Amino acid sequence: MDPQHFSLDPALYNVPSRDELREYRIWDGHYHGFLTTEDPIQRHREMMFYVERMGIERVISLDAGGTISNPLQSAPHDDAIWNLLEQEQATLSGLAPIDPGYPKESCEKMEKWVRNGPCIGIKYYGSTEAAIPCSHPNNDEIIRLAGELEAVIYIHTWIKIGGSPRYPGGGNNPGESTPMDVAILAERFPDIPLICGHSGGDWELGIPAIRPYENVYLQFDGSDPHSGAVDKAVNELGADRITWGGHGPSRSYSTELSKVLGASIPKADKMKVLGGNFRKLAERIFKAKGLSLQPH
Amino acid sequence: MFNRRKFLCTTLLAAAGSNLPFPKKWHATHYSRHQQKSDDAPFITDTNINLFQWPFRRLKYSQTDLMLAKLRKHRINQAWAGSYEALFHKDLAGVNFRLAEECRERGEGMLIPFGTVNVGWPGWEEELRRCHEQYHMPGIRIYPGYQAFDLDHSDFRSFLQVMTERGMILQIACDMEDARVHHPLIEVRDISMDLLPGLVKAVPELKVQLLYWNHKVGHNLLERLIADTFVVFDTSRIESSGGVGRLIDGNPWFGNPVTIPANRILFGSHVPYFPVEANILKLFESPLTLEQISAIVSDNANHLLDSRL
Repeated sequence: MDPQHFSLDPALYNVPSRDELREYRIWDGHYHGFLTTEDPIQRHREMMFYVERMGIERVISLDAGGTISNPLQSAPHDDAIWNLLEQEQATLSGLAPIDPGYPKESCEKMEKWVRNGPCIGIKYYGSTEAAIPCSHPNNDEIIRLAGELEAVIYIHTWIKIGGSPRYPGGGNNPGESTPMDVAILAERFPDIPLICGHSGGDWELGIPAIRPYENVYLQFDGSDPHSGAVDKAVNELGADRITWGGHGPSRSYSTELSKVLGASIPKADKMKVLGGNFRKLAERIFKAKGLSLQPH
Repeated sequence: MFNRRKFLCTTLLAAAGSNLPFPKKWHATHYSRHQQKSDDAPFITDTNINLFQWPFRRLKYSQTDLMLAKLRKHRINQAWAGSYEALFHKDLAGVNFRLAEECRERGEGMLIPFGTVNVGWPGWEEELRRCHEQYHMPGIRIYPGYQAFDLDHSDFRSFLQVMTERGMILQIACDMEDARVHHPLIEVRDISMDLLPGLVKAVPELKVQLLYWNHKVGHNLLERLIADTFVVFDTSRIESSGGVGRLIDGNPWFGNPVTIPANRILFGSHVPYFPVEANILKLFESPLTLEQISAIVSDNANHLLDSRL
């Protein structure tokens, strides 16, 4: 099946065609093509159909090495994923998940996968065995090393309603960071860029939480598409502080792209959000690794 | 200050408005106005939009005229409209009247009102009668999670029976938003849909559509609904990469394989809460045939309306 074949012209429905999407130079900063207990390589191959079809220029996997429950332990497909990150470096990048419950081991993984391996950054998962959020002092060693490597730092955040009485964040998993945790970390490391993932989960609370911290980027990925959310983020944070991710295969590119395409902001700002800002964040480590930021 | 004079004026205006007739066939007026003949691409019937103010924040396109302009821009020429007021208002007679009036006054021939009743509250039979006989609504949209009744409520079977006798479409809004971002003061009921297949099988003539259904319909329930009933589904919260096409192919990314035939899927945008682009793009993210797209965006909805008559 040809991923570039469409039964109808998207222009008839006033949404961008594949060629127009390509012009946006979209970098998917939240790609879960390897996140499966089955065969991650096969899943990645299947996902590439939709990546190609939706005109995505590059995907950044957040699952390079280990598993979601044990990010610091080697997993059976680690070697295959490592090889793919090298072979497909024109369109595929990787972030290595770490665990702030184990800073020493996390730094060892960063040495292997980032300094001496194919990855361009690190990822904080949504829960940790030791229940340590990103604001905990354990993180300082990790963030210092990431800063030295000029690595991209992606932090999963959510603010889930829960608890008794219910409050924002009361439903979070143990150790699951909130945008407020990111703000605390950002204050300790004002010169190191941090990506606050999932737009904070609840963007209405996440945006003000990180607003004062110029080194924090808000990434729209992995949540329902709320009309007006990107407009609000651009208004409060500026278009230069917003990045984007697709969160496939569990989320649809349509859902995630619509957040930006439906925003009443200039095309130049949409291009920043959909890829330009991520490229700026990754520019130094790409250069250090001899990688190209240009489309293949 | 809202004094007696203002109250009387408001009441009289409402009374005057209510004397104007409501269209007997809401869906018959739109085609000539917005249909173009320059191509074969189907226009879209959006089966899931809501009018008025979302209770928890201002939405970009909640103003009806702005919403309609936005929908038209994306080739949507008919939209089935519920009311956000249905979530928390107790005066459902007022909710349904305002919905019908807004569709008539500002709907530009595109909007079809779907009023609501609360089966758990007194007087639902009369609200239903008004929706059908007075406003000529083709269907009813219920919100069990917000209206706080379960499907095993003693009146629910009667409600389904009356809906069937009146030939109305029943839309069940399973969710309105991700429960993780609810306002902390609001604890929306986590309604189970497990009884639905049995209830619907008892009234096989009833037309039922589920909206924003994915969180409430797991694989097993979905299989039962597909196999045992004629329930149809909107697209609004169908997620995953190429999710619509993979459901049609019986090849979802997660869980057991389950197939929803294309003739059981109807376009629903959940506008103005979701950007309309989300569900438009889904038509292209999956490699759908023209026949499948036509079914999803218009044929299935038209069939549901026509078969009701």
